[in-house]
Amino acid sequence: MTATAEPMGTTPLGNRPLEPARLDALVQALRTVLADDQILTNKTDRYNRARVPAPFPVHRWSERLPDLAVLPTSTEQVAQIVRIANEMRIPVVPRDGGTGLTDGAVPMRGGIVVDVKRMNQIHEIDLVNRTVTVGTGISMLKLNERLAQHGLFYPDDPASYPCSLVGGRIGTSGWSLIGSRYGHTRDLVLSFDHVLPTGDILHVGDGIGGKISKSSSGFQMKHLFMGHQGTLGIATKATLKLFPKPEAELSPFWAFDNYDDAYACTGALARAGVATFAGAVLFDEYKVAYLRRDDEAYIPQPGDVRALVCSVMYGYEDEVRAGGKRLFRIAKEHGARYLGDEISEGDWAARHDRYATPLHGRTKDGQVIPMSWHCEDAAVNYANVPAVSKAWHEIIARLRRKSDVFDDWGMFAYTSANTGVDYLTEIDVGIWEQRLDDAAWAAWVDAKREIAAVAIAHNASMSACHGSCREGEVDLLPEELGRGFDVMLDVKRALDPNNIMNPGKYLLDGAYDNACEGTSRG
Amino acid sequence: MAEHLPQTPSAPAASAPYRRSEQLTPPPAVPVSEVAQTTFEHVYEVDPRLMQQHVLQQVFPNWDTLRIMRSRADHLQWMHQHFASTVISGSEILAEVEAEAAPAGQPLR
Ligand SMILES: Cc1cc2nc3c(=O)[nH]c(=O)nc-3n(C[C@H](O)[C@H](O)[C@H](O)COP(=O)(O)OP(=O)(O)OC[C@H]3O[C@@H](n4cnc5c(N)ncnc54)[C@H](O)[C@@H]3O)c2cc1C
Repeated sequence: MTATAEPMGTTPLGNRPLEPARLDALVQALRTVLADDQILTNKTDRYNRARVPAPFPVHRWSERLPDLAVLPTSTEQVAQIVRIANEMRIPVVPRDGGTGLTDGAVPMRGGIVVDVKRMNQIHEIDLVNRTVTVGTGISMLKLNERLAQHGLFYPDDPASYPCSLVGGRIGTSGWSLIGSRYGHTRDLVLSFDHVLPTGDILHVGDGIGGKISKSSSGFQMKHLFMGHQGTLGIATKATLKLFPKPEAELSPFWAFDNYDDAYACTGALARAGVATFAGAVLFDEYKVAYLRRDDEAYIPQPGDVRALVCSVMYGYEDEVRAGGKRLFRIAKEHGARYLGDEISEGDWAARHDRYATPLHGRTKDGQVIPMSWHCEDAAVNYANVPAVSKAWHEIIARLRRKSDVFDDWGMFAYTSANTGVDYLTEIDVGIWEQRLDDAAWAAWVDAKREIAAVAIAHNASMSACHGSCREGEVDLLPEELGRGFDVMLDVKRALDPNNIMNPGKYLLDGAYDNACEGTSRG
Repeated sequence: MAEHLPQTPSAPAASAPYRRSEQLTPPPAVPVSEVAQTTFEHVYEVDPRLMQQHVLQQVFPNWDTLRIMRSRADHLQWMHQHFASTVISGSEILAEVEAEAAPAGQPLR
């Protein structure tokens, strides 16, 4: 294996492709660990693994390609790949489903994409302790198909449910649609095997890890190794907490003739303390206006429908019925109009898979244009949701006045917890990617920065769900975390002395002396 | 946001004989809002006047329109079953709540 002798912490930060001789040396080294069909160097394989769903400056797409991709099948293989990369000072980018919305799996400095999709085995289903141990390349959907045979269920349910994978959920510390009932990824993952940027293998969990859900032994490391966007290493095998598969589901949607009543109702539903309560969502006037353009359920709604509220419950049928009655009474007291079974059931079922969004918007004069979906999210306290929503719409309205490249697709606020303390608050924005150029991109980045600043000014976190890695929001991370950001830099430097693990993310290049260097790695 | 269609649209069965001209003649469009129209039951389309510059409307044979709508209905049905064994109907719960709220002896609305 060829190893360069650069001193620690000096990984050059260029983004040009590896020179042929280094690429050859890398492939040779990887062949000592992997079979040929696990090392992918051709264009299609590399291009497919640079793709992400959120719009980014497509006109600069070629800057974000990996030099190659690998498909390991075990923790040991991942560890050896990372060791080689560390010795050769070549960046490594962990990738699972590639559905992340903050460009976490996009190679910023080329290098090796470690695609863990072949690590999708179910290693153990423990019916006695109610856990499952899986490779992190498995999707929740496939896992739940197997678990259903035992009447069990793993309730991590993002709106990308069919295609995001367990490792990506760990890498982003994901948010679940039914998290108010079952918790989010961080609550559902008990422990995992993790390959550090030096290639060492660490078992992460509470105390001894394994199948322990609560320990007071030592530092609590689980949170540190979740949500780092692949900058601290690669999770390879995870043990997850299981629940009985719910007997019953109830998902009423209600209409309101004004936002204020809908907002008050959402708060009351969330604060009610109903045990089967899995979430409540508030859709504002802009979202209703957007749905009226293209959504079968809402096109025919009368004009006085101006805001929507949805609540969802899971559990045994008797408890869901009892809880449901309480929530219906609360909705009625707030002036809600039930939208009927067809819309309620259909709309809820469609929420597990938001890849089905119609990807088009409108010019200001109403013509249909192809657009991609982008969303900005924050974790906002209930009391601040209206003020944040108003400010965010104003930012997008200013952007839209300048250009048809942007379209306001409305907002929703979704409970994160079962007490109604804070809400995943999201504004959806259509972006006409074919028209993106440097000027439009710069305007968008400015708007993102303003959106993030509004969140922080309201004591909100810039992201409840997706992460805050991208240009525009990442600039404000030091402001949000304060001294905590310096701790992030210290941790990064300590664990990844050569900055090989997903470099270019979360401003972590700042942990190294040569942060500003833009030289080629060739 | 996603469109969805819980109910299967009513239309000729897939086994009906295929006639091209029939397939290219959808039911007459009825405007349902300033920006949308409907053809088959539950099938909505953007008003064609709004698809003239940047994205042009495509001609879909009827069977394909219906196939897409039915697949969507299948997909939603699958999702329900995947997440829970039973779907409780909100209208039943609402009826119970209203019955309890109504003074004794008063008929339900
Ligand atoms: C339509 C749609 C709806 C969405 N809805 C939600 C939602 O409701 N809730 C939510 O939380 N997110 C949502 N997202 C965002 C995305 O699905 C999540 O962030 C998800 O957790 C990403 O998983 P993935 O497997 O696709 O990961 P990827 O996109 O492949 O990776 C995400 C990040 O994790 C890192 N990573 C990947 N694998 C590993 C690993 N094995 N170990 C360590 N780090 C790793 C990557 O480097 C990257 O930084 C949505 C996305 C889409 C497109």
